Amino acid sequence: MRQHALILFAGAASFVAFGGPAARADTPCKKEDIRFINSMREIAQPYHADLDKGGRLFVQSVGLNDKQYVLQLNQSDSDKQVSLMRAVLATNPGCTVFNVEPNNLPEVRLIVQTANQTGAWVVTHWSHPDGFYPYQQGNDHWIAHIGVNSLDAGVSVSRSLVNAMGGQGGIVALQGILENKPAQLRFAGLQKVLAENPGVTLLDQQTANWDRSQAFPIVQAWLSKYGDKIKAIWAANDDMALGAVEALRAQGLAGKIPVVGVDGIPEAIQAVKTGEMTATVSSDAYYQGSIGLAMGYCVLTGQAPMPAKWTNEQRNFNLRLITISKDNVDQYLNPPPASAYAGDWDCNKLWSRDTGPAD
Amino acid sequence: MAELGHARVSPVGRRVARREVGASTIAATLRRNVLAWTPALALGVLCIAFSIADARFASLANIHTLASQAALPLILATGMTFIILQGSIDLSVEGVMAACSLTFALLVRNSRTGLDLGVLAIVAASLLGACFGVANGALITRLRVPSFMVTLGTWSITSGVAMLISGGQPPQIRDMAMRNWALGDSLGVPNLIVVAIVFLAVGYLLQTYTRFGRYSYIVGSSEDIARLSGVAVDRFKVLAFAFCGLSSGLAGALESARLGLGHVQIGANQMFLALTAVVIGGTSLSGGRGGVVQSMVGVLILTVLANGMIFVGVTPYLQTAVQGAIILLAVIAATWHLRGRLRVVK
Repeated sequence: MRQHALILFAGAASFVAFGGPAARADTPCKKEDIRFINSMREIAQPYHADLDKGGRLFVQSVGLNDKQYVLQLNQSDSDKQVSLMRAVLATNPGCTVFNVEPNNLPEVRLIVQTANQTGAWVVTHWSHPDGFYPYQQGNDHWIAHIGVNSLDAGVSVSRSLVNAMGGQGGIVALQGILENKPAQLRFAGLQKVLAENPGVTLLDQQTANWDRSQAFPIVQAWLSKYGDKIKAIWAANDDMALGAVEALRAQGLAGKIPVVGVDGIPEAIQAVKTGEMTATVSSDAYYQGSIGLAMGYCVLTGQAPMPAKWTNEQRNFNLRLITISKDNVDQYLNPPPASAYAGDWDCNKLWSRDTGPAD
Repeated sequence: MAELGHARVSPVGRRVARREVGASTIAATLRRNVLAWTPALALGVLCIAFSIADARFASLANIHTLASQAALPLILATGMTFIILQGSIDLSVEGVMAACSLTFALLVRNSRTGLDLGVLAIVAASLLGACFGVANGALITRLRVPSFMVTLGTWSITSGVAMLISGGQPPQIRDMAMRNWALGDSLGVPNLIVVAIVFLAVGYLLQTYTRFGRYSYIVGSSEDIARLSGVAVDRFKVLAFAFCGLSSGLAGALESARLGLGHVQIGANQMFLALTAVVIGGTSLSGGRGGVVQSMVGVLILTVLANGMIFVGVTPYLQTAVQGAIILLAVIAATWHLRGRLRVVK
């Protein structure tokens, strides 16, 4: 009997300690109390590593300790992304900023709901569910959504590719994971450019699931099947493009057949420099990894108005893409210093890369 | 009296039995042999079908491509065969490949460290894989935890180790001699398939001429009886996992040399492919039946299938489904003759 009472008491006590209503922070925080969290899929790919580096660069640039920066990796597990977020919000939710690369569209809703319930602050990237916007009623803690116009990215690299092959000939295309929206949009960009260029034919398309080890055997098979007919290779991301380059290298064709990708990872930029790749498009991982944290920092320290006072476009915009080709590759060869982003992190100029409202 | 197929053997001797052997036993033997050839038959059918669909499938250039694509799955399937023969499973292949890939990439001339070990790096990566395998085997035999659980854990651990080493900056391999060797040919034959065939030969020798190989069958079909008979079951289990780890390490290093970097995802999907190849080839998942040559046939079936679908032009939206359907058919065909007997199917 006494044992049961003890357990009940312990349960009640912990409920009160952890389950009570969270403190809301409508008043700004002290900068030493702010927690900056970058929530992303994984860290193995250079794109994600650069997201992380961007976040750390920002935290250092405002003179804060690296201990206030937390990296959350969900390894492509949507539930884990949300539960990691909830776990860390057991303390100090009102002064916590999340910069989120959502694993999938549905959990953007869960992440935003968690933020609204606990008083934490969220900036999301890439895509969000249709009809669900930061500027809607009740989403006050969803500071902003920074989208990437993947259709434009696809169009931009496809144009570079078509130019490099002189507007004539056959190409093959490596798609990303077929269910991913960026994969579909980038491919749609290619198809749009193909419609404008009747001299170019799409010989074949396969999915290599964003992975260079899967791209390699596919391109090998294509080289056996189509031989000389392949005048260029299109890939939905740099990792697959680099896999294609290796398959070309095995046949002594690296650098002779134009290859394009998307992401702007350092290895791809090197390949553009040496001529093995023709072009890549970057959303600028350093920017994406830091801008959400900068927005949260500005809001929480009172240097920027509360999100409820921002315009709709300021809360939901597409960022400016950078096409990297032989003409401008030299600027991007080395990792950028923090000073390169001072203009973007400035609390008055947080929207400097806005190119228009996101969908 | 003992029963031997449909013949009866009396204690008096074989002479009685031979007189009694009739057409029924010969038919049974023939049936058994033909059915053992089903996977090879399936391979033949696939090759012919794809060649009819597109004549370039059978061209020398494509055979070269097929050989190159089959090389690493062959190495993995050879290693996996002994594990499956013993009735265990090794889920850690992908993680071990990743860890060894990163290690290999850091030991050859690369963009991050100053080392330049060349071929020794391949040996080192393979030995590292073998060490992970020994760890697997030790945990399974000493702690008596099922292989499924242990290797599931090792998969995560080795993947984590790989991610730690990679640190978001995958080391790029700058040793061009090594890269060109991995991508290139000798006398028109891809170098990697040569390595794979040598590895297969080693596997075959182990399977046929060593105690480890022959007793693996016994461990697989009835482990309790093996133990009671005094067979060193634990030692052979550890050896099997060590060999599988060795194959994973070697495959990880070679794939890195081919792609040019140490990559955490280098083993993506490979465990499932190796397992499927072993099963399609005719090695039973519950152990005691099969061999490395059968696994080679399984590897060839999968490689021909993946390559052939690209030739035929199967739309990517359907490829996974088609692959799954054909694999299912192949497995059913391979185990059709066993379905009648009172056999425990797990």
